[in-house]
Amino acid sequence: MRGFTVTDGAAVAYLDDEESTVISRIVADVAELLGADAFGDTGAEGLGEPTGMRGEADALFRSIAGLDDTPTEPSDPALRRLLPSASREDDEVAAEFRRLTEPDLRATKAGRLRAIGEQLNQPGEAWEVSLADAMATAAALTDVRLVLAARLGLDTDEDAERLHAEIELATHAMDTDAHDDLGVDPERVWLGMLYQALTWLQESLLQCLIAPEEEQDV
Amino acid sequence: MSTEEQIEREGAVATRLDDAWVTIVWNDPVNLMSYVTHVFQTYFQFTREEAEARMREVHERGRAVVSTGGRERMEVDVQAMHGYGLWATLQRSGA
Repeated sequence: MRGFTVTDGAAVAYLDDEESTVISRIVADVAELLGADAFGDTGAEGLGEPTGMRGEADALFRSIAGLDDTPTEPSDPALRRLLPSASREDDEVAAEFRRLTEPDLRATKAGRLRAIGEQLNQPGEAWEVSLADAMATAAALTDVRLVLAARLGLDTDEDAERLHAEIELATHAMDTDAHDDLGVDPERVWLGMLYQALTWLQESLLQCLIAPEEEQDV
Repeated sequence: MSTEEQIEREGAVATRLDDAWVTIVWNDPVNLMSYVTHVFQTYFQFTREEAEARMREVHERGRAVVSTGGRERMEVDVQAMHGYGLWATLQRSGA
């Protein structure tokens, strides 16, 4: 994996087939969580909770059909993070906001994820994002990271630091072939590493947007 | 201070409180400092320095007020922040 750098006026990263497949899949999973039609090869393993996912999709279709125009706060913590409450103390304000904005927010987020799926579907190892689309891609990467963070139980800065330490320990143990006595959940480590890789990719994408500004400032 | 001035001032305060809502962005462990700064710059048209100051306030104090105005305007700002994956809420100013 090579992070984004500006090449011929676009941000370009390089992913091998496996990396590209993993990212395509998680991107499709998050879109599905938002209630978008499945796209790409989502496979059997999803990160969403199957029943919750179906329930959310049904709710969206009911909403489109005008059967239920009052969306309520999602029960899935990951979805709640993508579509958070707009008020901490006033339920009326929160409900009104959700009614007015939730369908648009779901569509915007799903559309940006779909665009990443299309970018990754191009032949070759290059993941090319025009600078005009870079913020939309960065926002979609945020949404994917928010879902992973919810699944990993990252609620505070300390949780994120602890995950980082856990992964360090696990990779060290793998290197020294002593992973049997660690008691680390391999799925958690795998998800954590994916989270870190996406964080790193997003940061490199941001640098593509920030660096030209700094040059202009001088 | 004359009585007339005082009434005028109270009237002005009442109007201001009535219309004044704020958008608050809350800290979370996921969003990158570079990303939050860039969102503040591009969406709110803050200067780099101002955007960084608000971002640090969110990170260090747990929250920052990023915009002020009528309720509908704040709903637009909160929706934009949610679009970017930032955790934002609106509330009456001073509440």
